[in-house]
Amino acid sequence: MSKFNPNNVTPTTYSVDCFLCGALITDSKNTIVYVNNYFESHLLWKPDELVGQNINKILTKSSRIFFQSYLIPTVLHEKKSEEMQLIIFNGQGRKTPMTINAQINEEGLVFWSLFNATKQDQLYDELIKTREKLEEQAEKLKSLAATDELTGLLNRREMNYRSGLLLDQSLRSKQTIALLVIDIDDFKIINDTFGHLEGDRVLKELGQVLKNFGRQTDLISRYGGEEFLIMLPDTDKKGAVLFCNRLHTLIATVLVNDNPVTVSIGLTISNNAKSFLDLFTQADNAVYEAKARGKNRTQLYGDKGHL
Amino acid sequence: MLNSETIKSRNNVKIIGSGPKTLLFGHGFGCDQNMWRFLTPYLETQFRIVLFDYVGSGNSDISQYDKQRYKKLEGYALDVIEVCTALELSDLVFVGHSVSGMIGALAAFERPDLISKLIMVCPSPCFLNFPPDYQGGFDKEDLQELLSLMDKNYIGWADYLAPLVVGNANSAELIGELSGSFCSTDPVIAKNFAEATFFSDYRFLLKKIKQPTLILQSQDDALADVSVGEYVKQEIETSSLIVITAQGHCLQMTHPEIVSESIINYIQ
Repeated sequence: MSKFNPNNVTPTTYSVDCFLCGALITDSKNTIVYVNNYFESHLLWKPDELVGQNINKILTKSSRIFFQSYLIPTVLHEKKSEEMQLIIFNGQGRKTPMTINAQINEEGLVFWSLFNATKQDQLYDELIKTREKLEEQAEKLKSLAATDELTGLLNRREMNYRSGLLLDQSLRSKQTIALLVIDIDDFKIINDTFGHLEGDRVLKELGQVLKNFGRQTDLISRYGGEEFLIMLPDTDKKGAVLFCNRLHTLIATVLVNDNPVTVSIGLTISNNAKSFLDLFTQADNAVYEAKARGKNRTQLYGDKGHL
Repeated sequence: MLNSETIKSRNNVKIIGSGPKTLLFGHGFGCDQNMWRFLTPYLETQFRIVLFDYVGSGNSDISQYDKQRYKKLEGYALDVIEVCTALELSDLVFVGHSVSGMIGALAAFERPDLISKLIMVCPSPCFLNFPPDYQGGFDKEDLQELLSLMDKNYIGWADYLAPLVVGNANSAELIGELSGSFCSTDPVIAKNFAEATFFSDYRFLLKKIKQPTLILQSQDDALADVSVGEYVKQEIETSSLIVITAQGHCLQMTHPEIVSESIINYIQ
């Protein structure tokens, strides 16, 4: 056997048919003008089935859209395109994923090289599935980490975080916001008299009342034991007081031993620059005042009388 | 509640031209307000034109993107309504390309006070086939494959997406001219928009549209066949259809003279 000499290599000895990849040439109208032997030996097309036909013949419907909207524009604009993945039909109508490179010459002929990407495609599928699963899990965990388990409302951590954002946004757009601290009256008595399960039911039902009544943009949370915190964006004093009055009526539909549950509400309205902590302290002081004045009422921070 | 300045910057709202009538332009999937730039010069001397990008597209404020809201076209229709409200627009003509045809229809149904006429360029209420009654052009498998190709080619693809679809007659000259229209899109958002676009079925909505509607359909369009345009015409009682002798899905880019003429004639 003679030693390999590159000078002996002639086009008649070795041709593009020797490579384990498809080679295809199209003209400026996307008509196929040449295919190498790979199309016959591996993709089971007869050359006369392809030459003279539009390249669409071997592309699946989705690949045609990719071909038109991405591949051809890229080739025309950049003069080449590399590592595109498309799906083509073989001569028997079977779909095969292919990695495709292409370049265009000055006459407008496009030279395509196609490589079987069946295994690579499986790998991509697995990676995509993993990514989707991770995204789904992350979303679930994020929601769990933000939600109070018993009531389904925002928990304290999430409320602190979102209140800060909402407050900043309101300050920027010069809108007033209202903050309400709602505390269930005599909750300890409910727990001690009727048991913790009954206490949990009250918390749950009250949470549902708040959720149903609030607007989509309101932040509604269970902030601690029997304490709920609500932030109402774009709400002035008049609107907030109406909201509180309505809440007292709605909450009274929650019954314990046939008696309506009552709450004390501390209310404050933001004006100019205030931190969330400042606002919370005001509303918290107001709720203590509401309790001191006999419960089952709303107290506006800084207001001498009750509402 | 978002105020009007926030919405204007969120949706990258631009106002050009002047005239007694206002046209609001909604772009299609995979692009932004840039896709109207060949058309607006023909219209801005007669109309006030409002351009915007849907949240997640173009130069919109991506931080406002909410995966849940934009899972369905209703979320995009809310963008249209919010832009109208922010600019205090009413009695306007909504011109929507491709999926924006249906987004406009949703907004028009929801708020007839805002939108008095609809112009749909290459619309499709449903891309799926429901044989024998309806041929949207694609089987479910085709569309799943399309989304999968978006995933598999997402590095590069979303940075360099030509407006879907310029058509088979892809002359270098045309592509060169459109090169400024390649849109850089966040691939995850683009895929979400693609899902909302390609798997939606708003055929039920068409009969409820009472506004006069003009449908412009391309004679050779890989995404929306002439028969889809005919279906839309048949379902919207107050509509008329013009089939334009053209290739591709982006008539406003490839045939701006004809599209602008049709719009002017229709509004007058």
